[in-house]
Amino acid sequence: MRAIKAIAWKDFKTIVFSPTFFIIAFLCSAIWGSNFMRAVIQFAYQSSNPMQLGGGNLNLHYNLFVSLVSFVNIIFIFAIPAITMKLISEEKKQKSYDLLLTSPITSTDIAVGKFVAGFGVSLLLIGITLFYPMLLSFFAKFSWTVLLVAYAGLVLVTALYVALGLLASSITQSSVLSVILGIVFNLILWLMAQAAMSAKGSAAVEFFEYISVPNQLYAFLKGTMSVGGLVFFLSVIIFFVFLTQRMIEATRWR
Amino acid sequence: MIKVKNLTKVYGDRKAIDNLSFEIAKGEVVGFLGPNGAGKSTTMKIITGFMAPTSGEAMIGGEDVFENPVAVKKKIGYLPEAPPLYPEMKVKDYLKFVAELKSVPADKIKEYIDYALSATQLNEVAHRRIENLSKGFRQRVGIAQALVSQPEVLILDEPTVGLDPNQVAEIRSLINSLKGKHTIIFSTHILSEVQATCERYIIINEGKIISHKSLVSEAGASQKVIKTLCFNESGMNGLVAKLNSLKFVNSVKVNGKELIISFEGESSHIAELSKVIATSEAGLVSFSIEQDSLEDVFIKLTSKKESKDGGNQ
Repeated sequence: MRAIKAIAWKDFKTIVFSPTFFIIAFLCSAIWGSNFMRAVIQFAYQSSNPMQLGGGNLNLHYNLFVSLVSFVNIIFIFAIPAITMKLISEEKKQKSYDLLLTSPITSTDIAVGKFVAGFGVSLLLIGITLFYPMLLSFFAKFSWTVLLVAYAGLVLVTALYVALGLLASSITQSSVLSVILGIVFNLILWLMAQAAMSAKGSAAVEFFEYISVPNQLYAFLKGTMSVGGLVFFLSVIIFFVFLTQRMIEATRWR
Repeated sequence: MIKVKNLTKVYGDRKAIDNLSFEIAKGEVVGFLGPNGAGKSTTMKIITGFMAPTSGEAMIGGEDVFENPVAVKKKIGYLPEAPPLYPEMKVKDYLKFVAELKSVPADKIKEYIDYALSATQLNEVAHRRIENLSKGFRQRVGIAQALVSQPEVLILDEPTVGLDPNQVAEIRSLINSLKGKHTIIFSTHILSEVQATCERYIIINEGKIISHKSLVSEAGASQKVIKTLCFNESGMNGLVAKLNSLKFVNSVKVNGKELIISFEGESSHIAELSKVIATSEAGLVSFSIEQDSLEDVFIKLTSKKESKDGGNQ
């Protein structure tokens, strides 16, 4: 436990105080900011146009926040691997990995500690996006509870990207390769949803729909939190952290 | 304290270390010597649990390194070939991180860090980032991290590389001060260091131990060689016969007027030999004690094509 805390805190500080993080946070903020502006203007335009509404008001959450949070998720597919890229690959390159492997700590301590560090940094980034609903709350009424459920989904899928990014980092010594691999893993996860469309048989379709990350995320974004969804995300996150632990352990036995 | 039995490490078809066995008692300081690529670092990596052997076992304090890794690693302070540093961290923060990893009790962390900093003279740079330090200082930070948990066993891979002569002398006196309380094994190419600090040395070449010797001369047991030049050859045979009759003389080689006498070296024996030669018909011109320096031993043993079998000499 102590080792996990020490590793998590050390890696968290290292990432947050690095120029790479400032650049990523800046780029993300810039992209989200411009997207937010465009989306709000479009929503306002649509709301003011009675022809498009066909009677009744547009729901702020469904028509604005879902697309905003989805957009954050898409940016994270690329940004999270850039944050997690140095977690393990840099250790190997600067030879500090020897310190971790010869200390009285387990490979699990290392994997979990680094996952917590990456997750903590990604929470900081998610925190930046909370600015937009907070700003809107001055001008419009919406349900914070539903929004928080959507954010819970975002947090879970981000944790999944962190776990995948960490796994990618443990595979290679090169940070560049680590980023590329991380993005590829994230994209594979997203494209697996396509398999649902080509699956035959109702059981196969149900299975592929269950393991489809976009489907599971969308359920949260809509505001529905299900045990099945939580279990799915937690299992997959734990699975990839476990794979990282195996990669770390394998280094000892080469 | 450290026991290595039949350790073998194979990379593909290359044997990095081949059936290595040795024991180091508690409180001993042992020098680990060998040419580049001999297997020193590999052996140290296996003892510290960084890498697993292909076969054989390594035990520290009676516990197997791979059966109880966490318990064993608590007892070890290890400095690898390249110090495992985090460039972006400050020296003191880094040592605190290492202390946490090594489960130093929270109330003792400050005390242990202060000890490590003063033992390696790092107090003036304690608040500087490691990337801003010179190589010598970084090496000292590496040594400090090995010391910070005050481990029972210190395993140092080339601890004085990159240090200036003053710093080398300080590390030497540090190792001397740790003798007895800590078990130390360190590898180096600087043979004078081994002679200055170690009680024993192990020479390894091509993955095998080729020499395993004590540097502390037991009373009257070390063999010495004397080279002497005589005045004339006529009395040589008589002199050689008389020398061979002495109990402590092992062998006498004749080369014209020169004699090379190998004997059990005590100061009284040396006096007797010089008396015998001087009072003989052959006469005495010059008399000098030849002692193989460690460097000579090292070069002699490691430059041979075929390596000797391991064993005590």
